[in-house]
Amino acid sequence: MTDVRAPETDPFDPATEPDDQPRPGPASPGGGAFGLTDWLKWAWRQLTSMRIALVLLFLLALGSVPGSMLPQQGNNPAGVQQYFTSHPALAPWLNHLGLFNVFGAPWFAAIYLLLFASLVGCVVPRTFRLAGSARTLPPRAPRHLARLPRSAEYATALPAADAVEVAARVLSGHGFRLRRPVTPADPADPAEAGHWVSAEKGYLREVGNLLFHLALLGVLVSVALGGLFGYKADRLLVQGQTFADTASALDEFHPGRFVTAADLGPFTITLNKFDASYISSGQQRGQPSAFDAQISYTEQPGGPARTGQLEVNRPLSVDGAKVYLIGHGYAPEFRVTDARGHVVYNEATPFVSGTSGNFLSDGVVKVPDAQPEQLGFAGVFVPTAVDVGGSLESVFPAADNPVVSLIAYAGNLGMNTGAPQSVYQLDTSGMQQLTANPQVLVPGQSLKLPGGRGTITFTGYVPWVSLAITHDPGQLPALICGIAALGGLLLSFMIRRRRVFVRAIGGIRDRAGEHGTTVQVGGLARTDASGGFEAEFAVLAAELRSAHEQAAAHQPAAHHQPEGE
Amino acid sequence: MLSPVLRAPWSRAPWSRARRRTVILAAAVLTGVLLVVVLMTGWAGSGNSGVTAVDGNANAVVYAAGHRPLAPEFTATTLTGSKLSFSSYRGKVVVLNFWGSWCVPCREEASTLAAVSAQYQPSGVSFLGVDVRDTAASAEAFVHSFHLTYPSVSDSSSAVTLDFTAVVPIAGTPTTLVIDRTGHVAGAVFGTATYPELTAILAKVTAKAGG
Repeated sequence: MTDVRAPETDPFDPATEPDDQPRPGPASPGGGAFGLTDWLKWAWRQLTSMRIALVLLFLLALGSVPGSMLPQQGNNPAGVQQYFTSHPALAPWLNHLGLFNVFGAPWFAAIYLLLFASLVGCVVPRTFRLAGSARTLPPRAPRHLARLPRSAEYATALPAADAVEVAARVLSGHGFRLRRPVTPADPADPAEAGHWVSAEKGYLREVGNLLFHLALLGVLVSVALGGLFGYKADRLLVQGQTFADTASALDEFHPGRFVTAADLGPFTITLNKFDASYISSGQQRGQPSAFDAQISYTEQPGGPARTGQLEVNRPLSVDGAKVYLIGHGYAPEFRVTDARGHVVYNEATPFVSGTSGNFLSDGVVKVPDAQPEQLGFAGVFVPTAVDVGGSLESVFPAADNPVVSLIAYAGNLGMNTGAPQSVYQLDTSGMQQLTANPQVLVPGQSLKLPGGRGTITFTGYVPWVSLAITHDPGQLPALICGIAALGGLLLSFMIRRRRVFVRAIGGIRDRAGEHGTTVQVGGLARTDASGGFEAEFAVLAAELRSAHEQAAAHQPAAHHQPEGE
Repeated sequence: MLSPVLRAPWSRAPWSRARRRTVILAAAVLTGVLLVVVLMTGWAGSGNSGVTAVDGNANAVVYAAGHRPLAPEFTATTLTGSKLSFSSYRGKVVVLNFWGSWCVPCREEASTLAAVSAQYQPSGVSFLGVDVRDTAASAEAFVHSFHLTYPSVSDSSSAVTLDFTAVVPIAGTPTTLVIDRTGHVAGAVFGTATYPELTAILAKVTAKAGG
């Protein structure tokens, strides 16, 4: 009784049919008079086809690959510079292709917009078709139910009309949508003849399907919102310093397409105190145990000052933006006097820890206004210094025994003309090295520069934090749409559209010579679902049978009038 | 295998030769559409009315009367430690230069500013520096190096910059604003200011009696 075959076309989904069957009009621009409108129509049909959508989705994924493999201007401009120096031949070509700014590149935007157009073009007509299909009644029962993938047949003593009535009650109780023959029967329409009921269920599948597509569209819109109206910025803030959320006070500022410097939130943040604690013994020695940045901030210029706390993964929400604590380090303080005895430099200079661990940090001090010559220092800050065979190593990240080691230069820093410089790099090409070996200083100690050029004093150190400021108006919508897409996908996976037909044929004389009715039950489910309909149908068929038996048992025995068929 | 959601509406028979030709054509058309989109992504903000570029440089502009934003009031401390209120400049043309001793283009334009201030101060134009993200020692050394004769206020917290960013799109340091006698921003140079740019803006702003 079971012959599971996939139907050639999906009889369930009217939404699929227009796509699967050749449409009227020219299908391809092969020959004949193919006008501009035909071309446009054809191009639109191609663009909105699933194949092109998948190709675009694939391209989008492929396009993102260089974004993660190559350093990007957005998050790693130093890495880009590094790449240019290490690959002088290749880098300019990659740059022409926009591979150092993949997510801002026109070709990436093109893929994105095309995918968007493709999805819109696919989802909008589909929405109408699905909405229509959700309202339509199931088809009339086929004449030969035994030919359906699932079928059952049994006899009952009930008259055909009553048998269908009972079946309809059972199916309706299972949440099926029913269709009965029109009454009075139209003799001209043989399909309406007889006693039958069609039942269909699983419309939620289409709802899920639609939800998935719409939510996918929503995700794209949300990401676009974030890209167009959001911004990302970084700022390194030394303890005691204040900064305002304005382009010139930010170290890095990456505005969305429609964001200008004037759109930044006018908040101000001061780092009052930063503490990092580390585990001091055991296997985990040197691992951070807590970070705590005490800040005060104002949301508006002249507004009330509030205090707050920044911890890793606990950002501060201020004026629509989120401020994340993403790093920290040490800023040794130096005072430099020049040959005339003028203090020409007196500040905390952020040093950045490299890969060597325990916050062994590198940094430079540039004194462009020292007279008679500009001074520069390349330094290393060692928070807990230990002399290992003549070289300094840091054995613990906390500043338990801080020292700096400096190499002094004099000459031209290259800062009076030319390209902007990184504050972490010293261009020594126009400079003369003053000290042969790195000079080690402890806090309070000074180094006299040879030739009466002046003095540098290591006066102390303070911590710094690096903050990431992001404003992404698309974040919440993207989350909601993501959840909706998942929900829709689950619905469409878990729910099957399935149809059950019951046809009762009366006036059959059985072996005992009694008048009886034959009940035929047929079932059909979407074949691409993961099975389970066989069991459901078997249960349903058994239930129908027992309902019929019960109904027959309660029937008054006198009721033996043959049906008029 | 594709999910039923993705597969159902689009599943088709294997490609015939005609279909393959269709796909090649589709690729061609797509490439065309891509090109159009690439060209379209070059659209950015269109021009603002009331703003004229000066000396052929879009970064040096003069705002037409009626399009001049009102400069904010501020009070700050000068590098020499005295209080300075911006309102005391009302009635004068002011050149307001945002700078920092660490900033290469600022160092590049410093001698220009020294020269222009020497030329225009006698005729009643005031010059005021706003020292951004700097320290007193470095800032004073800078002022000495470039022989600047006009005062600067310290803006290490960027508070003054923030106030001005609300009315003029200051995207970085240096920025030079020219404020007219009524306290409105009449001209601006975003980036390194050159002698021709500054003098051209000043000529326009000082020329108009009430301007």
